[in-house]
Amino acid sequence: MRDPDAVLDADAESIADGRARLIEAELSRAGLGLVLRMGDRGSGLLLDRLVRLLAIRHPRAFVAMREMPDARVLIEPTDARVALLLRVGPELSLRLRPCQARKDGAAATDGMADAVISGPYARLLDLLEGRIDGDALFFRRELSIAGDTALIVALRNTLDGEEMDLLADALSFAGPLASLLPVLRRNAGPLLDRLADARRLLPPPLKWGIARIEARLPGFGPGREA
Amino acid sequence: MDRFELICPAGTPAALRAAVEAGADAVYLGFRDETNARNFPGLNFTRQDLAESIAFAHARRVQVFVAINTYPEAGNLAPWHRAVDDAARLKADAVILADLGLLDYAARTHPELRLHLSVQASAANAEAIRLYRDAFGVRRIVLPRVLTVPEIAKLNAEVDVETEVFVFGGLCPMAEGRCSLSSYATGLSPNKQGVCSPASHVRYEPRGKALASTLGGFTINVFGEGENAGYPTLCKGRFVARDTAAYLFEEPTSLNAMDLLPELKSAGVRALKIEGRQRGKAYIGAVVRAYREALDAFAAGRPVPRIDLQAMVEGGTQTTGAYTRAWR
Amino acid sequence: MKPSLTLGPVLFNWSVDRWCDFYARIADEAPVDTVVVGEIVCHKRAPFFAVAMQSVVERLAAAGKTVWLASPILVGSERERAAMRELVSPGNALSDATMIEANDMGALALLAGRPHAVGPTINVYNEATLGWLAGRGAVAVSLPAELPAASVAALAKAAAGVGTAVEVQAWGRAPLAISARCYHARAHGLHKDGCQFVCAGDPDGMPVATMDGQPFLTVNGTQTLSHGYLCLAEELEELTAMGVGRFRLSPQVVDMVRVAEAFRDLLDGRREGGAVAAELAGLTEAPLVNGFFHDSAGARRIVGASHRV
Repeated sequence: MRDPDAVLDADAESIADGRARLIEAELSRAGLGLVLRMGDRGSGLLLDRLVRLLAIRHPRAFVAMREMPDARVLIEPTDARVALLLRVGPELSLRLRPCQARKDGAAATDGMADAVISGPYARLLDLLEGRIDGDALFFRRELSIAGDTALIVALRNTLDGEEMDLLADALSFAGPLASLLPVLRRNAGPLLDRLADARRLLPPPLKWGIARIEARLPGFGPGREA
Repeated sequence: MDRFELICPAGTPAALRAAVEAGADAVYLGFRDETNARNFPGLNFTRQDLAESIAFAHARRVQVFVAINTYPEAGNLAPWHRAVDDAARLKADAVILADLGLLDYAARTHPELRLHLSVQASAANAEAIRLYRDAFGVRRIVLPRVLTVPEIAKLNAEVDVETEVFVFGGLCPMAEGRCSLSSYATGLSPNKQGVCSPASHVRYEPRGKALASTLGGFTINVFGEGENAGYPTLCKGRFVARDTAAYLFEEPTSLNAMDLLPELKSAGVRALKIEGRQRGKAYIGAVVRAYREALDAFAAGRPVPRIDLQAMVEGGTQTTGAYTRAWR
Repeated sequence: MKPSLTLGPVLFNWSVDRWCDFYARIADEAPVDTVVVGEIVCHKRAPFFAVAMQSVVERLAAAGKTVWLASPILVGSERERAAMRELVSPGNALSDATMIEANDMGALALLAGRPHAVGPTINVYNEATLGWLAGRGAVAVSLPAELPAASVAALAKAAAGVGTAVEVQAWGRAPLAISARCYHARAHGLHKDGCQFVCAGDPDGMPVATMDGQPFLTVNGTQTLSHGYLCLAEELEELTAMGVGRFRLSPQVVDMVRVAEAFRDLLDGRREGGAVAAELAGLTEAPLVNGFFHDSAGARRIVGASHRV
C-alpha cells in the first residue's frame, strides 16, 4: 500500500537528486579547470594528496590499481577543457592535461596514454563512481574508447567494485569544505538555476566569467562580481 | 507450488551488495582466476572477499553460489580443486561446475557440498541430465540456452532435478561450453581461460564517423554513425556471407524472458537467472530490482508490471531467444 | 602400438550419391584404419543418409575398415532425442555390430558399461575427465581441437595409464561451435523448420568473411567451423612421441584419398611433415592452420615451432 504523497515526495526527491548531481558535475568540472591553472607542480601536489586520501578510503580498489601493470589511461571529457591522466601500476598517480582538440575520439594519443576513454564529463563522473552502467553507455555510443581495451575494462571493473563518492572524497580533504557538500546537495536546484542564468546572461566574450562564479560556489565565500 | 528463485550475478563485492539489496534470492560469483567463465580483468572475488560476501549475504538470508565452471587444464588440476575446497570451507551454498572430472572430485571430496551443473556443461536432454544427477548427485541443472519452453517442460516432467534458466542478459547463440570461436580468433577460450572474445584482443578503431571493432585482428563489426553498438563478442558480430554483411549468428541483443514467467512456471522451472557478472553494479541493481518486482507481482497473482530495461540492453533490443521456436 | 588413421564423419550436406561414392572410394583406396560414419550435425538431414547407411557400413567393413557410428552433436528436441536413443540403445542391428562414438552427454549416458568411443565434441580437457570416462567404458577419446600441445601431452600420458587411445584431429576444418539455430537457413532468409536444405549448396561449407573481406569462418547448417584447414602434418612426429595413437582426418571436398595417403606416408616415416604440409596446402585455397596446438589463435599458422615444455 503506497501513500500517493510519498510517491510524490519520492519523485521530488529524485528530481532534486538529479539536479544535485548536475550541479556537482558542473562544479567539479569547473574545479578541475582551476586546478589545471595552478600549474604542473601545484596541481601535481594537490592531486597526489587526493590520490593518497582516496587510497585510504578505498583500499581495495587502490591496491588493485597498484597491482596492475604500469599503464596510462586518459579520461577525456568531450565537453571540458581538462582531461585526467591516470597512471595505474606501482607508480599510481593522477595528473591533469589540457584536452586536445580533435576531430575523432580515438586520434593518436601521442604516446601520452595506453588507452583513452572519452564522453560527456557528467557521464564519466557517473562511471568513475559506478553510478551508471558503462556498458550501456558504450552500447548507446555515449562513451568511446580507444587503445588498450583490457586496461579500460580492468579499470572500470576495479572502480565499479567500490562504493565511491568522488566529490565527497575530494572535498573532504579540503577540511571544512566537506561539510558543505550536503548543503550543496540540498540546495542544488537554486544553485543550478544561478549557474544556468549566469551562462545565459553572459555574452560569449565574457564566458570566462562563469569560471569565477563557479569557482566561488564550492566555498560559498564572498567573491567579486563577474 | 514454490516461488521462483531469483539468481543474480556479481563480479565484485559491491555488486553482490547491490544484488542482495535489490532482492536477489541467491548471488552467483567466481574466484579471481581461470577457474570461472567470467575471468575478466579487475573482476571477481578473492577468498577474503568471498568470506565477507557470504557473511553479508547469509545475514540477509541470501544464498551464494560459486561458479567454478571452466574446464581444468590437463596436468594442472590444483587451482580448480582449491577453488572447490575453498568454496566448501567458506560455506558457499552451492558450487556451479561443468567438468566431469571436477564434478567427480567435488562429489567424492565434499559429499555435503551442493552441486549445480553449469550452463557450460550444455546438458540439453534428459539422458545427459540423469547422468549428472546419478553419477555426481547434482541437484540443479542450469539449462543451456538452446531449448524451447515446451522442451524445458518435457525435460522437467521426465527428470526429477531442479532446473534453472537464464531470463535476462547476454545471449549465447551457440551451445555454451561447446564453442571455440573465441580461441580460433584469439587463442583464449571460455572453456580453458574463462574468457570469450577477451578485451585484451579487442580494438576499437574509428573509420570516419563509423566505429570498427576488431578481435584478434579480425574485424567483428563496423557501426555506422549513431548506430547502437554491441560487445565485440565474436558471435554478435556482423559478417559477410552470400555477399551480404549481416548479423549472421545473432544481433546485438539481450535476452529478456519477463513475458514468459507463466510459461516457465508451468514448465516446472525452479530458478531464474540473470546474466552479467561482468556488468557494473548499476546494471545489476536495476535489473535485479525489476525482476524482484516482477516476481513478487507474479507470485501474488498480480499482473506483471511492464518494466523498462531497454536502457540496459545490448544493441538496444530484447529477445526471448531460443525459448520460442521462431528463434531457430 | 602403431599409430592409426581415422576418417571422421562427413560433416557437410552432400547428396546421397556423392556420399556413397565417397565411402566407396575410401573403402577401395584410402589407407585409413577406422571410418566414423553418421550425420552428426543436423537431424533433418539424417533420413537421407539412413537409407544408404547399411550398405556403406558393410562396404567399408568388407574393405577391412573398422567402422564406428557417430551420435549427433546437439540433442535437444524430442526428434533428436529419439534418433539418438535409437542409434545408441542395444537392439539396433547396425549399432550392435559396430562401436558408437558418442558426441553428446546423453549418448554417453546410454553407453555406460559398453565399450564406446568419445567424440571431439564431448569436453575432455584433463586427465581427471579422461580417467572418469575410461572407467565407464571409453576405449578411445578424440580430443577437442582447441587443446594446446601441453594438454595433449598430459592427456596422452594419462590415457596410456588407463588403456584408452587418444586421438587428435590432424586434417580438415576445425569444428568451432554448434547451435540450435541454423545459420545456413538464416543467411538465406529462411527458418530452420523451412530450410529447404540450402546447406546442400555448400559441400565444403558456406564461406564467412569479415566486413573487410577477410575469409574467417565456415558455416555448415547449425555448425560453425574454421575457414582454415587444420593441418598437423608438421606436428605429427611430436604427437606420436607424446603417445597420441590416433589421427583424425575430417572429410572436405578435397581428394581425401590423397590426404590419407600423405598422412599414412608420414606415419610410416616415408615422408617429412614439411613436404606433406606443402603438398596438402596445394589442395585447397583455404590456408592451413595449426594455432590451437601451439597455444595460439586457432586461425594462425605457426611454422617451425619445435620448442615445447
